[in-house]
Amino acid sequence: MKVIVEPENHILELFKIKSVKALLNRLQLYPFQALVIRDNQLLTPDEKLFPNDTVIIRKVVSRG
Amino acid sequence: MKCTRCKQKAVVALPSHNAGFCASCFLLYFQNQMEKAIKKQKMFSPRHKILVALSGGKDSLALALQLKLLGYNLECLHLDLDISDTSKQVKTIAQRFCERFELKLHIIELKKENLSIPEVKKKLSRPICSACGQIKRYYFNYFAKQNNFDVLATGHTLDDEVSRLFANTLRWDITYLQQQSPILEQDQEFVRKVKPLYRLTEFETAVFCFLHNIQYSTIPCPYSKGASFTFYKRLLDELEYNQPGRKFNFYETFLKQKSQLFPPSTSKNKINFCSICGYPTLQDICGVCRIKKMLSKTS
Ligand code: SF4
Ligand SMILES: [Zn+2]
Ligand SMILES: [Zn+2]
Repeated sequence: MKVIVEPENHILELFKIKSVKALLNRLQLYPFQALVIRDNQLLTPDEKLFPNDTVIIRKVVSRG
Repeated sequence: MKCTRCKQKAVVALPSHNAGFCASCFLLYFQNQMEKAIKKQKMFSPRHKILVALSGGKDSLALALQLKLLGYNLECLHLDLDISDTSKQVKTIAQRFCERFELKLHIIELKKENLSIPEVKKKLSRPICSACGQIKRYYFNYFAKQNNFDVLATGHTLDDEVSRLFANTLRWDITYLQQQSPILEQDQEFVRKVKPLYRLTEFETAVFCFLHNIQYSTIPCPYSKGASFTFYKRLLDELEYNQPGRKFNFYETFLKQKSQLFPPSTSKNKINFCSICGYPTLQDICGVCRIKKMLSKTS
């Protein structure tokens, strides 16, 4: 699965991640620290993810 | 997960409210929380003229749009700090946003005021963020007063308020605890300041911007150190994750108990007016005019 982490625009290739919750865990983020977006839709932590997905992780913390 | 309100598929989970929402029910929830904040704290009514401090970040953009959707009478003010490309980019974001939503935007360029932030940083010995904060407060207040606005609204969220409350509590800073509030009722010389987003989190303003397809700035200020404030935010996030709703509860209870625990001090400092610009100050010359004087001496 392809993961784009914003705002840094880091691109990661991750394997064997089956849910939004697992993805957030892998990235060490709490669910309220990032929006998880697939096909321009927001995903809740219980959503399933698939190997061909491209997912955007948009971190929400404001800076400066 | 299903929407708590309409049972359709949810797109946002809010454990702090024990709820999940679809897009349209989330936007309704957001609006309700803001209306509750405005009414509960008696911030303003539709007959008031509101100035929104528009930084170009998601919180201030969400604030401006939701106020507009609720039919309030608002205009926006953006301060161009003149910090490298960062300031140009956030200014463009603010301009595009206001064009799209038909909001009146005022821009003050600090360079024209001889207060370009990088110059101030070069020449001032104290930390730039304290001077920058002072300059921002000055211009927002000054502009609001000059142009007969009744209130100044800022995009502070629950997360901002809670990390500040946490820091103030750790130091038992009584003066700051007395003053901390989503509404700062001011003396005549200062405009009333309000924080209509105090019941909403940064996560929620990010969701709001996503659902309205609003582009916002995520570029950090090059001078931002993050330091302790961000560290507290991290600690508080961990607490919130383990005890959903804890942040909201901590802040709400503080507001309820505040007048009893930290009654406002009755001693009032005598206010003078700056002999250069007329701004209220405790000294002869206000802080911003002192910075300007310093810069002109050393340049
Ligand atoms: S981080 Fe940048 S914008 Fe914020 S107060 Fe400091 S200098 Fe000003
Ligand atoms: Zn719904
Ligand atoms: Zn002055």
